[in-house]
Amino acid sequence: MNVTYNWLKEYVDFDLSPEQLADLLTMLGLEVEAMDRQGGGMDDVVVAVVEEKRQHPNADKLSLCRVNNGSEVFDVVCGAQNFKQGDTVALAQIGATLPGDFKIKRSKIRGEESCGMLCSEKELGLVDESAGIMVLSPALKPGIPVFEALGLKDTLLEIGLTPNRADCLSVAGIAREIAAKLGTSVRYPDTTINEGCSAAADTISVTIQDADLCPRYAARYITGCRIAPSPEWLVKRLNAVGMRSINNVVDVTNLVMMELGHPLHAFDCDRLEGRRVVVRRASEGELFVSLDDQQRILTAHDLVICDAARPVALAGVMGGQNSEIADSTSNILLESAWFRPAAIRRTSKRLGLHTESSHRFERGADIGMVPMALDRAASLIAVLSGGTVAQGTVDEYPGKVERKAIPLRAERAAVLLGIALDPSETVDILKRLECSVSENSDGSFSVVPPSYRIDIEREIDLIEEIARLKGFDAIPATMPLARVMSDRPSQHQRMERLVRDLLVAHGMNEIINFSFTSPDSAEKLLLPEEDIRRTAIKLANPLVFEQSVMKTTLLPGVLETIARNISFRSMDLKLFELRRRYLPTTGEMPHEPLCIAGALTGTRTDGSWSASREMVDFYDVKGIIENLLEQLHIRGVNWVADIPEPYYHPGKSCSIMVGREQIGSFGEIHPTVQENFCIEKPVYGFELDFDKLVILSRLKITITPPSRFPDSTRDIALLAPEELPVDSVLRCVQSVKAQEIEHLETFDLYRGAGIPDGFKSIAIRIRYRSYDRTLTDDEISVIHAKVLSALLKKLNVTTR
Amino acid sequence: MRQQLELMRDEALRVIAQTSGEQALQEVRVRFLGRKGELTGLMKGLGALAPEQRPVVGQLVNTIKDEIEATLEQALTDAREQEKTQRLQTERIDVTLPGRRQPSGTRHPVTLVIEEVCDIFAGLGFSVAEGPEIEHDWYNFEALNFPPEHPARDMQDTFFVDNNLLLRTHTSPVQIRTMLKQKPPVRIIAPGTVYRCDSDATHSPMFHQIEGLMVDTGVTFGDLKGILTVFTNQLFGQKTGVRLRPSFFPFTEPSAEVDIACVICGGKGCRVCKQSGWLEILGAGMVDPEVYRHVNYDAEEISGFAFGMGIERIAMLKYGISDMRLLFENDVRFLRQF
Repeated sequence: MNVTYNWLKEYVDFDLSPEQLADLLTMLGLEVEAMDRQGGGMDDVVVAVVEEKRQHPNADKLSLCRVNNGSEVFDVVCGAQNFKQGDTVALAQIGATLPGDFKIKRSKIRGEESCGMLCSEKELGLVDESAGIMVLSPALKPGIPVFEALGLKDTLLEIGLTPNRADCLSVAGIAREIAAKLGTSVRYPDTTINEGCSAAADTISVTIQDADLCPRYAARYITGCRIAPSPEWLVKRLNAVGMRSINNVVDVTNLVMMELGHPLHAFDCDRLEGRRVVVRRASEGELFVSLDDQQRILTAHDLVICDAARPVALAGVMGGQNSEIADSTSNILLESAWFRPAAIRRTSKRLGLHTESSHRFERGADIGMVPMALDRAASLIAVLSGGTVAQGTVDEYPGKVERKAIPLRAERAAVLLGIALDPSETVDILKRLECSVSENSDGSFSVVPPSYRIDIEREIDLIEEIARLKGFDAIPATMPLARVMSDRPSQHQRMERLVRDLLVAHGMNEIINFSFTSPDSAEKLLLPEEDIRRTAIKLANPLVFEQSVMKTTLLPGVLETIARNISFRSMDLKLFELRRRYLPTTGEMPHEPLCIAGALTGTRTDGSWSASREMVDFYDVKGIIENLLEQLHIRGVNWVADIPEPYYHPGKSCSIMVGREQIGSFGEIHPTVQENFCIEKPVYGFELDFDKLVILSRLKITITPPSRFPDSTRDIALLAPEELPVDSVLRCVQSVKAQEIEHLETFDLYRGAGIPDGFKSIAIRIRYRSYDRTLTDDEISVIHAKVLSALLKKLNVTTR
Repeated sequence: MRQQLELMRDEALRVIAQTSGEQALQEVRVRFLGRKGELTGLMKGLGALAPEQRPVVGQLVNTIKDEIEATLEQALTDAREQEKTQRLQTERIDVTLPGRRQPSGTRHPVTLVIEEVCDIFAGLGFSVAEGPEIEHDWYNFEALNFPPEHPARDMQDTFFVDNNLLLRTHTSPVQIRTMLKQKPPVRIIAPGTVYRCDSDATHSPMFHQIEGLMVDTGVTFGDLKGILTVFTNQLFGQKTGVRLRPSFFPFTEPSAEVDIACVICGGKGCRVCKQSGWLEILGAGMVDPEVYRHVNYDAEEISGFAFGMGIERIAMLKYGISDMRLLFENDVRFLRQF
């Protein structure tokens, strides 16, 4: 809602600067989002009197003037001829800046000093073209800024209204708020009409067929109007709040809407068949051409204003072409009505037709304002167009409802707000809000709010008004009594932090991608037709195709992020994301499991002097996952190579199984998928089901005390066929079940000189130790021999 | 023999005094005290002495041996000390070379703010609650007192899945879910992802909010001010000015916008705060009785407040981020700064 400082002053008295006014409104809940000072910065252009005017000695067309600004006299050289000694003029003093960044400086013109400039209207930015300088009324007082003297100095306030404050969609509405806060009252405009002799009801008639949607419809009849451009004051006023001038009649309806908040409509009465107005629901499929030249197909939910034959306006939204005010219009039917907000909203939304009028009706106009708005507009139209307002108003009001009194308990307000409230203060605040207040025998109040405050319906609404008018600053901050202990973060929440911290410790950067993706993502990942991840939840109204389905896997986003970073020449990347994915279910609500996904590419370490420039590979990802599972105390993990995901390299990927549960997978991204995401170098990806990790995580840790006896290590070097997994060697050693085996590791893997093709050398180191004694060499040899024979017997290996 | 011994001793002490370096001193030891050394050689003559002289000379041998040993030991200690000093004086490395490390990663700024806000509220007795992102219209709107067809729904442009399901437009439905599950007292904080169909430099179709809710007997609007003042002071610094001004949300009444004194200009007015000196960071208010009706709480018995804030907004203010899109581009040159 836009309103100007000067306009408000016509409605209510206040002694505040524009800044102070903005602050007052903001603290009342009418947030001033922006201020535009019109004619600001021109304070150095002042009213001055020409005391003396004579010919410039060195130039025919110039004159030398002595100009008095009330306190000082200046010599000014001037080129204009349209003024004489004694005239009052606009003097731009030294230091003034005129439109176009024109700075006024002391200067010499043909040898004569000039201390300022006498301005034309054009130079002051008031008009596009002007001849000569601006000669002002002699009544203006010298010394005051010209813009102030002419009343051109004003401040536009842009107010961001919350949707509940329909009553403030007008100058009067905002003035009411100022008056309530300051304890003064609002001056409403003059609505006196010199009515003609003939009665309106003799010519026009109003029939409301659907009173549920239109409880009140009032009309006046104005004859003999001359349609013409509006006078300048009206054009300026509309322009000031961002509205365009059309003609004197339409402009008046708009002006009154801005002044009083009530939308009106003027019909060319001679084009209304039967000079009748019928308010009814449209019939299904009924056609109507609105003022904006659009043909509208109506439904039975739309409320229309009709004449005897056809629709002539979409009630509260927009008028029709068939009855609009034209240059030839002479007789006018002026409408002031009240429509049910939900009906207007439905129609405006369905047709995508949002107007100043619909905006007000759908938020709730003031049914009590119907007659005043009608009379104000009728009187102005009569004055501006020379028309005659017929006697009387045709006012159909079938939906008249008395507003019920709202009970208010002062102590309830005190309890909720946390302050003591003086009953007389409560009454005073409510009365300033134009509520009628009566005290009940039990000390509570009965409050009837004014008709324009449709948002006040309950006790709590009144309590809010009291707090608002008193000012939130007047309520002291307190701390609530702690009656409740907070729970510690859940296991889920703690594990989220743990996982993040762990991945960050591994040098990974956390990313956050949008939860929606392109339907193409499944295709890019090569997911087969039957894969459930192809069944994504679709948005009914996506912004763009690329963000039209909810993610069923995080990998596409991660890979897109990799590609984007590589395009910015960031080549070494370790990224992870801990977010939800969204899966349809057969039940009512989708499933939103939390997921950890990530990807690595480029070198393992940074490019430091001490680092090797080795590239990351499968085992870097696996190491991270191993650490993660170890930190979460998840045991019994199997790395299974033969349940491939289509988006991984089939020979360099693996599923992570715990028991029969798959908890995730990782591997080198399939070269085709890489291409699909425009990545030109190997990328290693992973995805883990976080919710499953939480379930499998063992919170209870049981330790074994370390042995106090010495250890002994023995190494075994085995020659094994290439396809034999190292894991089976380790499992075989463990299968011996010797409790003296304390630790087991693969310390070398070798192919090359000395090893036949298709074979590899696996070197394992076993550390033996007992809990209760020092093991002798002989004892260890016995166990070690058992291990060795198990390996040779069960696996296709030989010792080296 | 006595004379020979004393001559040898004098010779040994002279040599020790003239010798430097650990290695050379060890050689001196071998020469005089070693198994084939001069002292051993002299001791061979011990047998030739008269029996009554043997203990006397033997005593002298031991005394001389101890004397040489002690002197040698002292010389060795001095030599080692000297070598250490010299080593410490000559060995030098370039301490400005970067350390050998696995560079650490970073958490996303949105995560950092969520964790910080949750930690502050944990200290104020609030537990963390969560809810679904694909939400029922009823929880997202209806139960929060946004009736169908109400203009307030325009405040939140909604992504719909179907007639009933939508992407939640705020974290407020978690209030409803929590109150339906538990009876007062309630003190929760609910961080989460929310969605609105709006996209430009200051709006993202996906962003994050944190919702807070406290319901108990006798909770006042003053308490809301108190909690939010403590919170903003902990998040932005002890002296941060806070103001509440009236606003409107369908699910709270009275409702307030909460402003903090601009953290950029300190309240003097700048581009970030649009010259107002204030920054809007929170919406808040007393829970509307209509909301209690939907969750079967008795509005006459209890009262409470709710508040909500945008995480991105706070992250942008805290870290001086001017374009919201930076937060979701995931450029590592941006992410690595946190």
